[in-house]
Amino acid sequence: MTQLSGGLIDRGRTIRFRFDGKDYQGHPGDTLASALLANGVTLMGRSFKYHRPRGVFSAGSEEPNALVELRTGARREPNTRATVVELFDGLEASSQNRWPSLKHDFMAVNDLFANFFAAGFYYKTFMWPRAFWEKIYEPAIRKAAGLGSLSFQADPDAYDKGFLHCDLLVIGGGAAGLAAALTAGRAGARVILADEDFRLGGRLLAETHLLDGAPATRWIDRVQAELDSLPNVRVMTRTTVWGAFDHGVYGAVERVSDHLPDPNGAVRQTLWRITAQRTVLAAGATERHIPFANNDRPGVMLAGAVRAYANRWAALPDGPVAIFTNNDDGHRTALDLAEKGVTIAGVVDARPDARSLGRYQLFAGGMVTDTKGRHGLTRIEVAQNGQTTWLDCGALGVSGGWNPNVHIASHHRGRPVWDDGLQAFVPGEGGPVGLSAAGAAAGQGATGAALASGAAVAQAALAAIGVDAALPDLPQAESEFTAPHPVWHVPGKGRAWVDFQNDVTVKDVKLAHQENLRPVEHLKRWTTLGMATDQGKTANVTALAVMAELTGQSIQNTGTTIFRPPYTPVSMSVLGGGDTGANFRPRRLTPTHKWAKAQGAVFIEVGQWMRAQYFPRPGETTWRQTVDREVLATRKGVGICDVTTLGKVDVQGADAAEFLDRIYANAMKSLKVGMVRYGLMLREDGHACDDGTCARLADDHYVVTTTTAQAGPVYRHMEYARQCLWPELDVQLISTTDAWAQIAIAGPNARKLLERVVDGVDLSNEAFPIMACASLTVCQGLRARLFRISFSGELAYELAVPARYGNALIQRLIEVGADLGAVPYGTEALGVMRIERAMPQATS
Amino acid sequence: MTDLLETTALGLDGPAVERHGGFTISENADLALASLALRRDGTDPAPFGLTLPGPGGWVQGGGIAAFWTGPGQWMVEAPGGAARDFAGELKSACPDASVTEQTDGWIAFEIQSHAGANAITGLVEKLVNVDTGRICPGFATRTGLEHMSVFVIRRSEENLAVIGMRSAAGTLWHALTHAAARIQEGSA
Repeated sequence: MTQLSGGLIDRGRTIRFRFDGKDYQGHPGDTLASALLANGVTLMGRSFKYHRPRGVFSAGSEEPNALVELRTGARREPNTRATVVELFDGLEASSQNRWPSLKHDFMAVNDLFANFFAAGFYYKTFMWPRAFWEKIYEPAIRKAAGLGSLSFQADPDAYDKGFLHCDLLVIGGGAAGLAAALTAGRAGARVILADEDFRLGGRLLAETHLLDGAPATRWIDRVQAELDSLPNVRVMTRTTVWGAFDHGVYGAVERVSDHLPDPNGAVRQTLWRITAQRTVLAAGATERHIPFANNDRPGVMLAGAVRAYANRWAALPDGPVAIFTNNDDGHRTALDLAEKGVTIAGVVDARPDARSLGRYQLFAGGMVTDTKGRHGLTRIEVAQNGQTTWLDCGALGVSGGWNPNVHIASHHRGRPVWDDGLQAFVPGEGGPVGLSAAGAAAGQGATGAALASGAAVAQAALAAIGVDAALPDLPQAESEFTAPHPVWHVPGKGRAWVDFQNDVTVKDVKLAHQENLRPVEHLKRWTTLGMATDQGKTANVTALAVMAELTGQSIQNTGTTIFRPPYTPVSMSVLGGGDTGANFRPRRLTPTHKWAKAQGAVFIEVGQWMRAQYFPRPGETTWRQTVDREVLATRKGVGICDVTTLGKVDVQGADAAEFLDRIYANAMKSLKVGMVRYGLMLREDGHACDDGTCARLADDHYVVTTTTAQAGPVYRHMEYARQCLWPELDVQLISTTDAWAQIAIAGPNARKLLERVVDGVDLSNEAFPIMACASLTVCQGLRARLFRISFSGELAYELAVPARYGNALIQRLIEVGADLGAVPYGTEALGVMRIERAMPQATS
Repeated sequence: MTDLLETTALGLDGPAVERHGGFTISENADLALASLALRRDGTDPAPFGLTLPGPGGWVQGGGIAAFWTGPGQWMVEAPGGAARDFAGELKSACPDASVTEQTDGWIAFEIQSHAGANAITGLVEKLVNVDTGRICPGFATRTGLEHMSVFVIRRSEENLAVIGMRSAAGTLWHALTHAAARIQEGSA
C-alpha cells in the first residue's frame, strides 16, 4: 500500500472494520474502498461472468467492480458499492460471487471458456434440446446468476418517508451546487440542497485546486456555515436524488443511519418526496475510461479516482502509478501524485501532439495495449510509434474524458445531445419541466466555470418563479478545459472491457454489430451492457461510441438508451415506506368489532375492512358447523349481523330525485317518502356498476346504499355525475358509511326483538310494511334509522345508530333477544342464506 | 338520554391520550361534526354567527368552528357536542342548506406540540404531502395520509388536528403516534 500525507480523514481516531474475516483499521472520513486501499487491499471482488479478479475502479457511486456484501445476518446487504460505504466502527463486509475465497475462486474457470460466453450466448446456446430448458438450463442459469446473496431473513430495520416542498431543489453539493444554493439561499428562496456524499464539496474534495488562493475546503466550510445559518435552506447530505417524476416531484433517499454500526431501532433510511418549483441539476460528471486489452485488473482505475484517493483519502495501491489519457485531466493526476512524492511510471497520452505538464516520462501518441498481474496490476504494455515497452506499476489511472451526469435531466424521456466541442453528451430537450443543469452536469466541468454556471442557472431558475436573486461573489478558480481526443478504445486482439460489471468487452460490441443488433437498445439487451447496479455509468457512452465507429454513424445519431429512475440503487424497504405487517395498509374495523372479538369471532378481510366471518362456539370443530348453526338459528329465531361496511351516501337537494333517476336503471323519483327501493346503478355508458337500496327520508333527502366493495367507486361516480355530467342539478352528496353503525336483524322473531329496543313506534306489518324506512329513536332516545329490508329472505330490518353506539347496540340486541333465540351471524352465514334464496351475493 | 354506552373509535371506553416526546396526541371524541352544503343559488350562511372560510381555511367563533371542504361546502365542528344532535341544530340555523350528520363518520386526533411550532412542521413533513409553508394557523386541507383520506387543520401554532375516517382510527392512530415517536427519538 501507499499511504500518503494529508487527506480529509481524521487520523486522530481509529475505526476497526473487517473484510473477508480479516481485521483492518481506518479513520473517520474513509469509505470502505479507501480504507481497504489504505490497508493494501486491492482485490475486492470478482466479475459477474468470467469471475475475473477486480479492484476498485472509481471513487463514487458509479462503481462497477468493488461490490461487497455489507453487514451480517438479517442486515446483510449484497452488491453494496464499497466506494459509497461510509466506514463505521465494527463494519463487516465480505466479497461475493466467489468460491471458496476471493483469491482462489474455482468459478474463475469460466474465464478459460470465455469464447463460449460471448454476447447473446444464452440465446444461442440453450435452444436445444427443448426439454432441457426448464429442468436443466434455467435452474443452472439462475444458480449462476447474480452477484451477492440475500440473507433470506426479514429486514430488521426501520424505514421512513416524508414530503418536502421548496422553491429550488439543488441536486449535488459540489462547486456548481454550492454556488446555486448560495445564490438562492441569499435571495430568500426556500432551498433544498441534496448531496449523495456524507460531506459537501463534490469533486472539490478530490482536487488540489485553490479557491481564492486557499484550499477549496475553506470555501466549502464557509458556504456550508452560511447555508446552515439560513432558515430557508435545508442541506441534506447522505441524500441521493434518484428520480424525477411528474409535476416537479423528485424521489430522494436519505441514509439516516447507514453510517452507524447499528441503528438501534432508529430510522435507517428515509424516502423523501420533494416537490420543487425549480431544480438545478448539479450532479457533476463521471469519468470514462478507454478500453484496452486486459484493462480490468485490480489497480486499473479511473485517473480521477486515483487522484481522489490520493488527495481526499491519502491512499493508493502499492507501487508506481502510470496514467493513460486522451486529455489534460489525466496529466492532473500525474501532477498531484508527483507532488505527493508518488513515483510516476509514465503518462501515456493518446494525443500525438501531447506535451508534458510535469516531470514525468510522457508517451505522446501512445496507447496501453496490455497488462500483467494475476490478482493485481504489476505491469502495463505501452505501444508508441510501433514500439512496445513494459512499465512496472501498481496502479494505472485511465482518463477518457468526462461524461456529464445527465441522468435525471434525461428522465421523462429527455434525450441528451452530443456536444462535439466537449466530446460529451449534455442535457437536451424534453427532460423534467423546470429542471436546468449546471456545472459539470452541463459540461461546465472546470471549477471556475462550474461555480459561475451554478450561480447563473440558479438565478435564471428563480427569475422564472418571480424571485430576484443577485449573483454572489464567487472565488477565483481555474477554468482551463481541453476536450478529450476522441480515442474510444485501443484496437487489439485481447479482450478489452467496456462494461466491467457485466463483463462486456469491445469484442461483444463488435459481435452485436456483426449480428445486426446495432441500435443501442438492442446492443444493451444483447450484451447486458449498462445493466445491474451501476447501470453502465462508466461504460455506456464508450460502448455506443464503439458502435458508432463500427456503423460509421455519428455518436449523436447512435444515441443513448432511455434513462430511467433510479439513478443509483434504492432498497425495496425504503420504497415500501416503512410499515409492514398489520400496518402495511389501512385496516378498517366495524363499530361492533370489539364485541365480535370478545365473542371469539373469526374475521375475514373484505377490502380494507375486517368483518366477522362466523362466531364459533365451544364444541364446534369446523367452520361449517358454526355457519350451519347460525343459519338455522336465524331461520328459526333471529340473527344479528353488522352490515356497516355497505356504503352509504347521503343525497340531498331539490333535484335529488331527478339525479337518482339518472344514475339508477330504475326510477327513484316515484319512490314515496318513508320507503326504500332496490336499484341497479349504471354508469353513463350503460355499464351496471353497483346495486343497492335507495331510501327516501324526505322529498329532497335520500340515502343510497352500495355494496361494500363499491362504496368508494360509487361515491366517486356520483360526484363525477354531479359535478361533470349534470352540474345544473341541485344535488349535494356526502358519504355517511362510517357515520352510522348498521345492524341487520333477520328472522321470524326480528320484529319482536326490535320492539324491545325501539322507542314507541308501531312496527306492525301495516304501519311499517316491507321496504318501509323511518327516522326514530331507540334505547331511550338515541337517534336511529330503521329500514325494513332483507338480503337473506327473512323478515328482516336494518337498524342504524351513530357508530359510537354500535358496539353497545349489538350487545343489547343479543341480551334482550336471548329468549327469542338471538344469535350473531357472520358473512359466511349471510352468503349461505342469500344463496339459499337465490339472491346474488358479492362473490357472484 | 340513551342508556347505551359509547365506544370510542379506538374501541376503548374513553378517549386515548398519549405523549410522545414533544407531542401530546389525543382523541377528540366529543367533537360533533356536520357537513353544510349550499343548495343551488344559495348564499353563504353564517351559522351561529360564524363567517364561513374560503378554500384552505378554518375559522372558529361562537362556540363552533368550520373548515372549507369544497365549493359551497363546509364541515362544521362543535366541540363537546358529540352527544347531542348537532346536525339538527345546524339545520335549524341554516334551513336553506343541506346538512348531514358526520360526527361518527370521522375521528379527530388533536396534536399538541410542547416543542414549538417547528416541531409541528417536522411532524407534518412525515405525514402528509402538504407544503409546510402553507400550514399556518387557520389552514385546513383534505389530503392523503398512509393511503387514507384525512383533513388536516392547523388550529394554532402549536396545535394540529388530523381528522380521518372513524373505521380506520387504529391505523391513523398508529401513523400519528409512530411518526411523533420517531421525532422524539431524534431519528426523523
